[in-house]
Amino acid sequence: MAGKIKLLIDEIINTRAQGNKTVENCVRTKLILKGIDPDLFDNSSDDDPNIIEKLQKVAEEYNVGK
Amino acid sequence: MAVANTYSTKKDVKEAVKELKNSFSSAENKFVLYFASSIFLPDELAAEMQSAFPDSKLLGCSTAGEITSGKVLKNSLVAMSFGSSELEDVEVTVIERVKEEDNVKKAFEKFEKHFGEEVKQMDVEKYVGIILFDGMVGAEEKIMDIVGDSTNLTIIGGSAGDDVKFKETHVFVDGKSYMDAAVVALLKTKQGFDIIKTQSFEETGKKLKATKVDESSRKIVEFDGRPATEVYAEVLGASPEQAADHFMENPVGLIIDNEPFVRSPQRVDGKSICFYCQVKEGTELSLLKSTDIVVDTKKAVEDKLDELGHISAIINFHCILRTLELENKGQTEAYGEIFTDIPTIGFSTYGEQYIGHVNQTSTMLVLK
Repeated sequence: MAGKIKLLIDEIINTRAQGNKTVENCVRTKLILKGIDPDLFDNSSDDDPNIIEKLQKVAEEYNVGK
Repeated sequence: MAVANTYSTKKDVKEAVKELKNSFSSAENKFVLYFASSIFLPDELAAEMQSAFPDSKLLGCSTAGEITSGKVLKNSLVAMSFGSSELEDVEVTVIERVKEEDNVKKAFEKFEKHFGEEVKQMDVEKYVGIILFDGMVGAEEKIMDIVGDSTNLTIIGGSAGDDVKFKETHVFVDGKSYMDAAVVALLKTKQGFDIIKTQSFEETGKKLKATKVDESSRKIVEFDGRPATEVYAEVLGASPEQAADHFMENPVGLIIDNEPFVRSPQRVDGKSICFYCQVKEGTELSLLKSTDIVVDTKKAVEDKLDELGHISAIINFHCILRTLELENKGQTEAYGEIFTDIPTIGFSTYGEQYIGHVNQTSTMLVLK
C-alpha cells in the first residue's frame, strides 16, 4: 500500500488550520520537528507503519478523519 | 494604563521586591512577569513576590542574566506589569514533573475552566502562552511536542538559568517555586501579538544527515554513517580534536521555510557530539556560520516595528550562548540599546521555545 502518509498529513493540516495559513505553516513546522517532513511524501510514498503511528497520534488530538 | 517595566539591582530579596512594588505602585498589576538572578533564594523570592502583589497573577523564573529596556544586567530582578489595556484576561498554571510525566492536559484544563472554552477552540490571534521551563531537566522537546499536539495557540518562552552554574534552575507561579516543572501563563490580549524569532547565522551550503542519534541524551552518534565528530570536523576543514573549537560559531540548523531552527553542539563525547537540543534520526541539518547578533537583532526589531507601527512591549527569551558571544565581542551594551525605546524585559536562557525547542536564538513575544 502507498499514499496513506500524505493523506494523513493533508487531513491533519486541513482539519487543524481550517484555511488559516499561519496555523497551516505552524502545523507543518510541528510535523517537521517530529521528523516528518510533509514535502517528502506523495501519493506513491510507502506506508511506513512507524510514521503512520506517529501521525495517528497527532490526528487523534483533533479528531482528524472522524 | 500602558505596560510598565522595571528592575532592581538590590541584592537583598526584600529590598529588591520592595523596589519593584514601589515602581508598580500606580500600575494595575493584573499580571506580573519577572525574571530573577539565581542570587535570590527561590522560595523566598516567590513568597515575597506573592506578598507584594497579592491580587496579581505571577509568573517568573531564575536566569543567567536579565534584560530590561536599554540594559543587559546581571544579579538583578526585572519585571513587567500588565493591565487591562493590554490584557482582557490572564491565567497561570504549572506543569509538574515534566521529566517523567505528561501533565500538560491537566494544566490546560485549568485554562479551559478559567476562560470557559477549550484550548483547541481559542482564537489564535488573541491568545498567546508564555512558557518557562526548569532549564536543567531536558524536558523541553517532549513537553513542547505535547503542547503543540494539544493546541494551535502560539506558546513561546525560555528555559530558566542559574547564572551559568548549571546546577539548579527554578520556575515560579504565584507564590511558589518549582523544579522539574514548566510554568505557563495564557494571555488573552486586547490588541493581539506577534513574534520575533531571530538567530544570527547563515547557511554555509554544507549538509549533514544525522544517521544515528540517541534522542534522550540529545546526542548525535553519526553523521552520514560515520562518527559525528569526524564528519563535523571534516566539513569545517578541521581535525576531530579541533571540532569543539567551532561549536559556538558553527552550530547546525534544521531549515524550515528558509529559517534555521538552531541545534547547538555542547560537547564532544567520544566520537559523538552532545547537543543542547534533540535531533531526530534521519534529519538533514545545515552547517551554519555566525553573523552579527547586534546588527541582526536591530534589523529584526526595526522590521517588526515598521510592520506593526507600534509595539507595546517585548518579552525577550535570549539564549545564554548569545549573551556570552556578545560579552566576548564587547557588544553587550549595544545589544541592550536596541530595546531602549520599547518596554522590554527578558533573560538569558538555557534554551528557547517557539513551536519547538531551539538554541542560540532569541524568541520574543511582541505585544501590539
